[in-house]
Amino acid sequence: MAQTRSGSKLLWDILSYAIMIVLAIICIGPIIWTFLTSIKVEEDIVTRDMVYFPTRFTFESYVKLWNQSSYPVLVMNSLVVTSLTVLICLLTGSIAAYSFSRFNFKGRTQLMLAYLVVRMFPAVLMIIPLFIVMRNIGLLDSTVGLAVAYTSFLLPLFVWMLKGFFDAAPKELESAARIDGSTRIGAMFRIVIPIARNGLVATCVFVAIAAWNEYLFALMLTTSQGSRTWPVGLQLMVGEFQLPWGMLAAGGMISILPVIILFAIVQRVMVAGITAGAVKG
Amino acid sequence: MSRSLNMPGSRPPRTIWEAISPFRLIGELSETRYWMYLLLLPSALLITAVVLYPTVYGMQMSFREMRLNRPDLGNDWVLFKHYVRMINDPIFWVSLRNTAVWVTSSIVLEFLIGLIAALALNRDLPGTKLLAVLILLPYFLPNVVAGHMWALMLDPRMGVINDLLLKVGLLTEYKAWFADPTTAMAAAIIVEAWHSFPFFTLLIMAGLKGIPTDLYKAANIDGAGAFAQLRLITLPMLKTIIAAAVILRVIGLVNSPDLLLILTSGGPGRSTQVLSLYAFQMAYKDFNFGYAGALSVVMFVFLMLFAWAYVRLSKVNQE
Amino acid sequence: MATLSIKGVRKSYGSLEVLSNIDLELEDGGFLVLLGPSGCGKSTLLSIIAGLEPSSGGDVVIGGRTVNDVHPKDRNIAMVFQSYALYPTMSVQRNIGFGLEMRKVETAARESAVAGAAELLQISHLLERKPGQLSGGQRQRVAMGRAIVRQPDLFLFDEPLSNLDAKLRVEMRTEIKRLHDRLGTSVVYVTHDQVEAMTLGTKVAVMKGGVIQQLADPQTIYERPANMFVAGFIGSPTMNFLEGTLVQDGGGLVLKHAAGALVLTGIEQDVRSHIGRPVVAGIRPETMSAAGGASTLQGSVDVVEPTGPDTMVIVNVGGQMITARLGSRDRPKLGAEMTLAVDTAAVNLFDPESGNRIGGDV
Repeated sequence: MAQTRSGSKLLWDILSYAIMIVLAIICIGPIIWTFLTSIKVEEDIVTRDMVYFPTRFTFESYVKLWNQSSYPVLVMNSLVVTSLTVLICLLTGSIAAYSFSRFNFKGRTQLMLAYLVVRMFPAVLMIIPLFIVMRNIGLLDSTVGLAVAYTSFLLPLFVWMLKGFFDAAPKELESAARIDGSTRIGAMFRIVIPIARNGLVATCVFVAIAAWNEYLFALMLTTSQGSRTWPVGLQLMVGEFQLPWGMLAAGGMISILPVIILFAIVQRVMVAGITAGAVKG
Repeated sequence: MSRSLNMPGSRPPRTIWEAISPFRLIGELSETRYWMYLLLLPSALLITAVVLYPTVYGMQMSFREMRLNRPDLGNDWVLFKHYVRMINDPIFWVSLRNTAVWVTSSIVLEFLIGLIAALALNRDLPGTKLLAVLILLPYFLPNVVAGHMWALMLDPRMGVINDLLLKVGLLTEYKAWFADPTTAMAAAIIVEAWHSFPFFTLLIMAGLKGIPTDLYKAANIDGAGAFAQLRLITLPMLKTIIAAAVILRVIGLVNSPDLLLILTSGGPGRSTQVLSLYAFQMAYKDFNFGYAGALSVVMFVFLMLFAWAYVRLSKVNQE
Repeated sequence: MATLSIKGVRKSYGSLEVLSNIDLELEDGGFLVLLGPSGCGKSTLLSIIAGLEPSSGGDVVIGGRTVNDVHPKDRNIAMVFQSYALYPTMSVQRNIGFGLEMRKVETAARESAVAGAAELLQISHLLERKPGQLSGGQRQRVAMGRAIVRQPDLFLFDEPLSNLDAKLRVEMRTEIKRLHDRLGTSVVYVTHDQVEAMTLGTKVAVMKGGVIQQLADPQTIYERPANMFVAGFIGSPTMNFLEGTLVQDGGGLVLKHAAGALVLTGIEQDVRSHIGRPVVAGIRPETMSAAGGASTLQGSVDVVEPTGPDTMVIVNVGGQMITARLGSRDRPKLGAEMTLAVDTAAVNLFDPESGNRIGGDV
């Protein structure tokens, strides 16, 4: 009996490893292939005989993309938009998440639900009016305007996710702090936020990645070099200049490098936050 | 028991500077009973401005003539003109059908892979942590890059997938996956599944952690095999979380045309034209905001109906 | 140090009333225990005293000052929480001194106050650590240190021992008692543990459903419970309730029950109003013994549970199960007929309809 038990466990273990390894290869295979393409020489890319293990390497694609295209400007714009988005979410969203997490008031559940339902609105339905409104107030084709537009779908996410992290800090701590002489806002900054610090960072990273990656809003709401973000720019380069694969791959690698690094650093807390928000919702 | 702004019990300011210090004022404000609402105010205003107002605006737009490139037509109310046009628009019906195929196939594929991955990862074998990071990574990659990575690999002249399939004998010659109307949708669905299955993995892993291990011990003693355990314990316990994940993914799949826009732009022909893409192109290329708005409203109504029906169905099943 | 009085305090959430018309008085230096099952409103009442929650009506008076609208920090109270509520990001030193820090006490004075409190609680060696590095008992001590360092008028304890294991709980209970004896500060202490209530309180308020069932010293609560809820809630094993009819027999009173009659001598209650009517006799397990006498109950032995120092014997008296706490040597045989002598002076008679002790308070 005991032997068959451990025998079947071994079988499942092997099967699990097989599944995980195959999936992992499928998941990062495209990334590795793109990376290889980005450092191959041109002849090794455009060839009938597939070069799986290149013997010649070059960073020419990177150099060309960085020096001969507008990519640095695009990346800079994306950095500005991403930072602004995170800043807006931090300023308005963190206090909202705190309020949802800490207080029981009339309409709380309904309001939180409303923050969630907002995600159901089709992007196109919001983008068109945003386009018109932003054109009227002069925010069209500006990094600020784009960041504000991003909050439409990122702020609710931010609030839900951060609320989960705030919930993890016991309410009794604030009661204690208030008896010790803190005001509510003092307790929030001195006690709750330091405890939820990791969660706050993870939530910001999540929003930053989403803003960095965003394509549709950026495509519609930016029209010139001055505010265009890298996803739009890269896509336009593909269409307009028939960007060679090497440079496209280099652009892709440059753009996902910060995402991969940030994800690797905060993934555990971030994953916990995403699931907590979704589970409760 | 009213708490006025000026708390009677609070310490009086010692100096004039302290009296007008913003920290002190905010601190006092935080003790009033309106504090929770004050905290919500900025985000609520922002969401009203960037979500609610545009949505309402978009809805009324769908009842107006609104073509940015034809100012001569004016912005008059046209009642249901756009909706009537939709009924007689063959592209709308094609898009609707494609949307159904796109959403259903992607969800099924994402759920199955996501579930299998979560079950394997949940066994907490050594090395799982690293594998989990790799497996979850695609979800966080940008659509633009995900799309081009696969376009590179599926390229008709130098795609590595063509080469691999040729080598194992599944293909006799390189295939232009995105140029063939019969394979374009399938190829796009595979890219989408690769990109988003980790979302299911993420949520199902969280759900699995919440199932008490005693249940499995009891099932083991009762002699239930692995598949019986999956069917009788795991899946029923995950019902709520799967329902939530499906709703969120359906919303995402219906609403955002990003990936198809990058991979195929709806082509070849109309073979990958979905509703969201059609609405977006109507707005972005034709600048026919009225009709685009009407298409979006229809999408929104479909989503609401779906979410409502789905929640009801999964509740009925639970009882 | 201060007195505390609660006058007609109410609390409701919408139509749900969790506290109705609470009146309490606590003398200076007293130790008031709020005792009751979960959901009885005891923690809400404590929060209202602390000022963490507003009441829906009534007055809270601390040291002669009505504090209804006073911020918690200005009530000069200190509180120890169930989860200890230590600030996880701060050292023990800073945790204890945080209240003084907020009150802008100078560093030197603060440090000496913290050192004093730490010494009193024997945690001086832990001052540099973070709460996460402490054991449950140590956290409990730090939480108390944070409370005493401020020298408040009033200590509030919210189930402070319920997160500790059984052995530590007894130890810390003694510690709290020692501290109270030493500092003499008034205390309000919330618990669901009757042993804590009996050992610590100078006054116990037994609560149920947002109403105070009885407010008295522990002795009275135990010996003369105001109603059957209090009688059943206090004491372990719980008080026996024997149903019967009260009759006058010659000069004395007799309780006629299903399996005979119990002669009631030395009853301290005025029960004349209930002669000839059904009553419930509350008999504590330890007021019975395995001997003969004037007042006895007869029945067959159902269960015997030796506990070491005592033997609990459950006897079936005409269909009603009566638990008696007998000596460790008393080991009756299962199913044997048994006679239990009852100390009827310790018996309480209740009205089965209202559940109240007949004749009102002693």
